Amino acid sequence: MEAMTEEKAEFEEEEIKYVSYGGEHHLPLIMSLVDQELSEPYSIFTYRYFVYLWPQLSFLAFHKGKCVGTVVCKMGEHRNTFRGYIAMLVVIKPYRGRGIATELVTRSIRMMMESGCEEVTLEAEVTNKGALALYGRLGFIRAKRLFHYYLNGVDAFRLKLLFPPPSPPDQELYSSPDT
Amino acid sequence: MADNAVSEGASMDGHPLKLASIPATDSTVWTDASPLLQAACTGLRDGELIHGDNFNLFAAMSALEIMDPKMDSGIVRTYYSIDEAIEHGAAPIPISLDSTIDVQCTIDIMDHLLACEAAWHKGHSLAQTVFSCIYLLRLDRTAPHALLHSYCRIIRATCKAVVSVASNARTHEEEDLFTMTYGLPLNGDGDDKCLSILNAVEDTISRQLRACKAASLKRRLPEDLEPLQSNPNLEEGFCKALLCRLCFRKHFFHILACMKRPQGRGLESARKHISSCMTELESIQKSAYFIRSCFGESCEGDIDDKTTASGREPIGFDAMLNSRLSALMPPRTIKILSWKKAVEYFVKLLHDLDVICSYSLDPHLESLLRFVVQFQKSQPDLVARSHLQLLLVQDGKLYGRDPLFSVITKAAALLEATKNHDIQKNESILQLGMLVMNLLKILCTNAAWQRRKLGKFLQDWHVIYVQLELALRNEFGEVSSRSSNDENVCMKIFQHILLWVEEQTYWITFRFLILGFELELYSTSEYCMVYWYLYAVLIKLAEKTQLKMAVSYDTAKRKGKKKKDSPKDLARESRIPPAVTFLQCCIFLAEGLTMMLAALRNEISLFQSPGPFNTEQEKFAQHFELLQRACIPDHFSYPSYKESTTHARFSTLAMYNYFKDAQRIAKEVKSSFSNDPERLAELQKLEHVAEHNSAAQDLICRLGALDPSLKVSFELSHHPFFATVVAKRS
Repeated sequence: MEAMTEEKAEFEEEEIKYVSYGGEHHLPLIMSLVDQELSEPYSIFTYRYFVYLWPQLSFLAFHKGKCVGTVVCKMGEHRNTFRGYIAMLVVIKPYRGRGIATELVTRSIRMMMESGCEEVTLEAEVTNKGALALYGRLGFIRAKRLFHYYLNGVDAFRLKLLFPPPSPPDQELYSSPDT
Repeated sequence: MADNAVSEGASMDGHPLKLASIPATDSTVWTDASPLLQAACTGLRDGELIHGDNFNLFAAMSALEIMDPKMDSGIVRTYYSIDEAIEHGAAPIPISLDSTIDVQCTIDIMDHLLACEAAWHKGHSLAQTVFSCIYLLRLDRTAPHALLHSYCRIIRATCKAVVSVASNARTHEEEDLFTMTYGLPLNGDGDDKCLSILNAVEDTISRQLRACKAASLKRRLPEDLEPLQSNPNLEEGFCKALLCRLCFRKHFFHILACMKRPQGRGLESARKHISSCMTELESIQKSAYFIRSCFGESCEGDIDDKTTASGREPIGFDAMLNSRLSALMPPRTIKILSWKKAVEYFVKLLHDLDVICSYSLDPHLESLLRFVVQFQKSQPDLVARSHLQLLLVQDGKLYGRDPLFSVITKAAALLEATKNHDIQKNESILQLGMLVMNLLKILCTNAAWQRRKLGKFLQDWHVIYVQLELALRNEFGEVSSRSSNDENVCMKIFQHILLWVEEQTYWITFRFLILGFELELYSTSEYCMVYWYLYAVLIKLAEKTQLKMAVSYDTAKRKGKKKKDSPKDLARESRIPPAVTFLQCCIFLAEGLTMMLAALRNEISLFQSPGPFNTEQEKFAQHFELLQRACIPDHFSYPSYKESTTHARFSTLAMYNYFKDAQRIAKEVKSSFSNDPERLAELQKLEHVAEHNSAAQDLICRLGALDPSLKVSFELSHHPFFATVVAKRS
């Protein structure tokens, strides 16, 4: 299937272009990335559900015209809280470790914050050190452990990010990580 | 919705079945629906979903189940029904016309079923594990094969008994997959006789074993018995291999029956059967050598992954046959445990059940709680934990024997006679009894679930405290010398219980916090606030425990139970109880860790994690939301946390070494626990951590700010929740 060698792609961070979900033409790109890399099987209807209803929360990362990463999210009311949910986050192996996933997620979270979300949540396998470190750096805590959550029997953490209550904007607090 | 081959519409050779035609009647007429179906085919494009006003996209998406053959036309399977599988020879009876092969295959089936059973216990669905066995799905057709029939029947009865235990425990953990038996033929006519059926087969094989032993000693055969299989050299080995497998099932079934008896009456008998089960398991393991050698295969070789002792694939299993009954869609890809791991699982299960059966049914709640906490350290699986829960809470009483009010009065250090007091009819007291019952149930669940439940549970304990306090004030607010004796007694009881409720609430909070370490919920950058909160809770717990013990001593004295104060009594009165000293040791450790983490953060910005979206305050709010909501403890909030830790510096650490105090106390209090090996072991660990951390603190204080190559980490290497500080020069 994939190449046996785990070669890292050579690129400058500025070469990565980030775009918001733009329509049906992006859907097969997202699907192929997620199908390839993530362990849970989804139907096309699941993808459509997310990107039709919340296109502004999904982002894609391109390098020289090739889609190398994506994030798919939603938001809504949940038990009297307005909260965002990160459903899928993928970056293909040769492009990992260079901050692409962080940038994709950050854009989504910022959009959620601007849309009035009070918190953001997602689940991640307890063994997924990379994801746990990424979200930890962004301010997520491990709120709960879910026993045997995944189809392969692995436990999950429910990660949650709580936004501070709305107050006079503090520029330093909300500045993007690359300033 | 039971599987029915005819309704499937597929037949053996793939052609559609010719259904009997339904004649038209006076009010019905046949019409060709092909154009309508054709139009429907083009009504939706590829990838589109039906949705409408009352059926939104979320509902449509959620309704779809991948890999469910009813919805997912792409899913292909070998057989589309059990009957089809049987017709194609997937589960032959007899398994082979060669009796030796038949016996070998029967053993393979038995081994694979054990592996399936272990996989089921570990959290997979019954439908995809034990009931992937075609012989089990159609048990009646195995009747001509006595060995297979008796084995399958007892397996079925055993599964039913185990499902019943887990269902009755009703803890509703994530493992509720375990009890799903929808559509599975678990209820068999005559399963109550499974033991006698098994015994008959066991008898026959035992006689056969005696016969071949006699034959090998050239003695005359006592009876004209039919051999099990055709190779006389292998007869003894096969008899033994089969016997231990049958006997294991027999004793295991007995264990379940004994442990089910009310009020723990069957525990002693259960222990005997557990011991027998262990012996049979050892024999089963030993039989693997013979089983592999009779194939002429080497006994080395990689069969570690195999689900049978022989290493061969068993005949008669198909996990996909039940996929429509499986609760989860898509069905989990299950890896049946290897035979080796399955045996290991049962060894552990038997050990855990033995621990439960050995328990003394101590009427003291405090001892019981410590027993349950200790038991959970070995990470017992669902079957063991369900059995424990059902032992502890039966018919609304502790062990089905002790009314909850008497448990509470004992725990609250009230006098024995109090358990008969009318106050037990008070609404709040009744609710308190329910809380105690729920607490015991929660403590028997898996750690992840337990922590979530304990967190929410705190609110209930807070509410009951408030209610009791209100009742105390309203009913006994004006207790005076004119109050009756009974009113005075009532007031005293309420006061004792209130104190105990507070103590219990802090104990639950303590458990909630430390489970976070076990579940790896805290990152090192959050350790400071967690240890600070732990420190606050431990102080309150120690305070309440000491108060309770002092009050009970006082009450006992006043009741004249104590003779006039001897010097020993006075000394005892002023001495701190060992349980409280133990807590003090923990308090010093928690305080030491809080301050060290704070100093590291303040001096060299270690373990700080400023994220772009929020601050430490939000993390504090999230971690301790449930505790703050229940006011546990009161007046401990983020500002007070900041105040306590903002000024920590290496210089302040150098002035006072909390770890040295912890070390000293741990040493001193050991003698008080000389009869308690568990406490002693824990004190040893605490002492170890204190010693390490004290040394690390000295090093850090000396070098910390000056040496940039100093690397500091916090490892849970010596204790489950007090971290050991590791300071190295990189």
